[in-house]
Amino acid sequence: MGICYNNKTLKEIVDERDRLFKESGHAYGLQRLELVEEDPAKFMRFQMRLVASCINARESAKLISANPMSMVQGELLFMLANAEGDVVSASYGLAGHIQCMPFIVKNIANMDFENDPEINEGDIFSCNDPMYGPPHNADCYTWLPVYYKGELVSWTVGLNHIVDVGGIQPGGLGVFSPSVFTDGFTYPPTKTGVNFKQQKWWELHWKRRTRTEMFNILDDKMRASGIVALHDRIIDVIEEFGVDYYRKGLKEIIERERRVLIKRVKSQAVPGKYQYLQLSAINYKDIPGKLWPDSNRNWIIHKTGELNIQADGTLLTDCEGLTSEGDFHANSYEPAVRMLTSLGLWPMIAYTETINSSLLYMTEWNIPPGSMFNPQNPFAGTVMGLGVIAGYIFMFHNCLSSAFFSRGYLEETFPADGTAVGYGAAGRLEDGFQWAGGDMSLITCQSEGATPFQDGFDAAVCSPNPASDIGETEVVEFLLPTQVNIGKKLIPDLCGHGKFRGGLAVGLLQFTNKPGQSLVINAFAATDGMGACAIGRSGGYPAANDVVIFAHKTNLRELLENGGTYPRDFVEMTQWLEDGTLTAESIDAFKGPTPSIPCGDGDLFASAAGSNGGWGDVLERRYDLIEEDIKYDWLSEETVTTVYGAVIDADKKVDIEASDKLREEMRQRRKDRSMDARDWWMEERKKVISKDWHQDVNNMHADCLKYEKYKKQFLGMWQLPEDYSVEEVL
Amino acid sequence: MKEDKSGIISKDNFRRMIDGQLPWEEVKKVIRNSDDDAERFKNYIEILQERVSWNDRILLRISDHLYIVLKDSGERVVKCDCGHEFGDYRINWKLSSRIYARKTDEEIAEVVTIKEARHNTELVEMREFFCPGCYAMLGVEVVPTGYPPTFEMFPDLDIFYRDWLGTPLPDENEEWFQDKTLDLPAKWAKEA
Repeated sequence: MGICYNNKTLKEIVDERDRLFKESGHAYGLQRLELVEEDPAKFMRFQMRLVASCINARESAKLISANPMSMVQGELLFMLANAEGDVVSASYGLAGHIQCMPFIVKNIANMDFENDPEINEGDIFSCNDPMYGPPHNADCYTWLPVYYKGELVSWTVGLNHIVDVGGIQPGGLGVFSPSVFTDGFTYPPTKTGVNFKQQKWWELHWKRRTRTEMFNILDDKMRASGIVALHDRIIDVIEEFGVDYYRKGLKEIIERERRVLIKRVKSQAVPGKYQYLQLSAINYKDIPGKLWPDSNRNWIIHKTGELNIQADGTLLTDCEGLTSEGDFHANSYEPAVRMLTSLGLWPMIAYTETINSSLLYMTEWNIPPGSMFNPQNPFAGTVMGLGVIAGYIFMFHNCLSSAFFSRGYLEETFPADGTAVGYGAAGRLEDGFQWAGGDMSLITCQSEGATPFQDGFDAAVCSPNPASDIGETEVVEFLLPTQVNIGKKLIPDLCGHGKFRGGLAVGLLQFTNKPGQSLVINAFAATDGMGACAIGRSGGYPAANDVVIFAHKTNLRELLENGGTYPRDFVEMTQWLEDGTLTAESIDAFKGPTPSIPCGDGDLFASAAGSNGGWGDVLERRYDLIEEDIKYDWLSEETVTTVYGAVIDADKKVDIEASDKLREEMRQRRKDRSMDARDWWMEERKKVISKDWHQDVNNMHADCLKYEKYKKQFLGMWQLPEDYSVEEVL
Repeated sequence: MKEDKSGIISKDNFRRMIDGQLPWEEVKKVIRNSDDDAERFKNYIEILQERVSWNDRILLRISDHLYIVLKDSGERVVKCDCGHEFGDYRINWKLSSRIYARKTDEEIAEVVTIKEARHNTELVEMREFFCPGCYAMLGVEVVPTGYPPTFEMFPDLDIFYRDWLGTPLPDENEEWFQDKTLDLPAKWAKEA
């Protein structure tokens, strides 16, 4: 006898849900939305009660946490799923996670958790293992069944991004991990509590397997208390509306909002194929040494995507050609792909009455087995697979923006590039106190990409997290006791240029103060010297690269003691280093993620991220906009001249006559140094035939050519024989 | 300026938005009502059509300067607002453009003035695609050597006009949604 309606088992209702959708094309086979049609006002009241319950759970529970990512940056979510696992309502926060819960419920159904370890009223379950649904082990899920008169009717779920996962690198965004065994504390679905309380043994795991036991235990208590509170409120809702209404209403929410999404695509987009590409790298060469020989290499990560806006309004993403799985930290599974990429769909089409899993009913993915999003090695490292998946968020932003632009919905365009810097840090103070932490403030607040009608706003949005917030410096300094923030500001000139330009990068500069016995910092970044996106918009330049620079053993303390001032960002820091004002014993500079960098007293840690791409031809940028750029120091005179062809006079105004002339010269230069596509093709083809390229590029082509679709395009474009091949060189 | 109280954008304000001149506060009002604007595409095409100097029917705008147009001959071609034609829209227009690839740090520095953020030219080049008629920059891509040019957008025009707009095109044919890009390098290879 099962625990669900009509004594069905969990597996039976999950399978039935899948079958009904496959057969009818409607969620749960619902041809009609009876409750919605009979009394829309009542239905709205019902739905809003669910939303309010989730928000209430979040707002009260988060006060238990001490983790700044939960408290300030919104890196948490409370949600309500129906018995089948579809999320029907959620709080503010990490909205994408609603995509994962259906996978988790399906997995525990298929593993027959119903019989062993059993799913009883008051049982609390936990999981952060990406193989079973969560996207990566920093995102910890805690959930509770909701029973009503013996029937499983729902799940209440809480999750948040924890400070440290106990991996080989500190923090939760590690960028080195050859396998799951170095990812850190990764637990499959586990019953961790009974009678609405977590058990004591569970605390010991946080204590022994992560660096930040206090934060992580409090986070766990936050999640557990939130889901219990949400459980009680949901029982109230069921009492008010009746269990039949509740059960049926949750299904109607999904089907109704599926229809809204389809309608929105059909009314605002244009069907067809849209190509997306972003490139990044994983640079392990010489880092793991003899300990992990299979990881001792570099990879270019080929994030290719073809978004198909299909005739029926559904979206199919084909990522055939994506880099193969590897002995690195960045593999992932379908739930993670669904989760994070949905963040590109919320702002574009999926803004409905509630946050729910209806997207799963109108989006499909082709993820070839053996690719890094579908690893066949069960021990693949996944600690920061999201760093790669994040690139595909912007596939939806950019491809749908193209579609909206073509349809005339310019105001709905919202292009964006992949850019972000976060970091983890761990140390041992002079008195032996060990600490660890992380900061995501340059991930959770970025600038906007340019649209077809205006510049991107600065420091305004956060695609990976709906709660855009640049963080509170004081909180971060409490968490990271050695890091003094001496600068957090926009970086002039650092944006993708265009007729309309992207928003500027945000820079952070920290001074390391008395770290004691040891300190390491490892930064995550979204680019790797290959830019934030491979394709510009309508002739605009995509954003360039994130910047991470460590200046070791500087003389800044001495400068300050002598009454001097200090640089505020990496641009000023490097200028000071060049002119000798600032001295440093050594510099570590990166355009992407870093290994763990030992830091000492007086070191400077500079980073910048969040700039976005331009829209349109730079030579068409209006002079009045350029005068604003100059007035507010957003762009330098050098940049507006060399990039935009604008000459600035002594009054900081555009000299129109001189600028028109310069732009004409620049157009002529385009003519002089460009070539016909056919001539370019012949030159490029010779390089392809002779394989005249960098080793890492060689290995990228070698890998991608394993996939039939890329091979067909590549051989066809360069007119190569079927037996053309590229051998991997290590 | 006339205010759009309904949230449905007036044609005048639509023109201003296309020109990048509509104030953000007005744009926000439009955003709030986008779903309900049944006339949007029709108005868009009318505004665009009145701005170009040629008479071919615009089927779709695919970038600031480029349009897919229906010729009197029945061809569907990509055309720049300057009048230059790139040929069959089923072939990536980039293969009919003028191309300049920035391959050195100095060349990239002209457009990325912050040196620490520049691309790694050992791994990627920055390709710029220009209209052979007016030399407007139509596209930019940053890719490794040997990467096939990206075909950014290939619309299914027949489905769009018939099923989504309810105004079928006169010459519907499944062939219109077949990517023909590779035909062009095949032709070049034969000629070489």
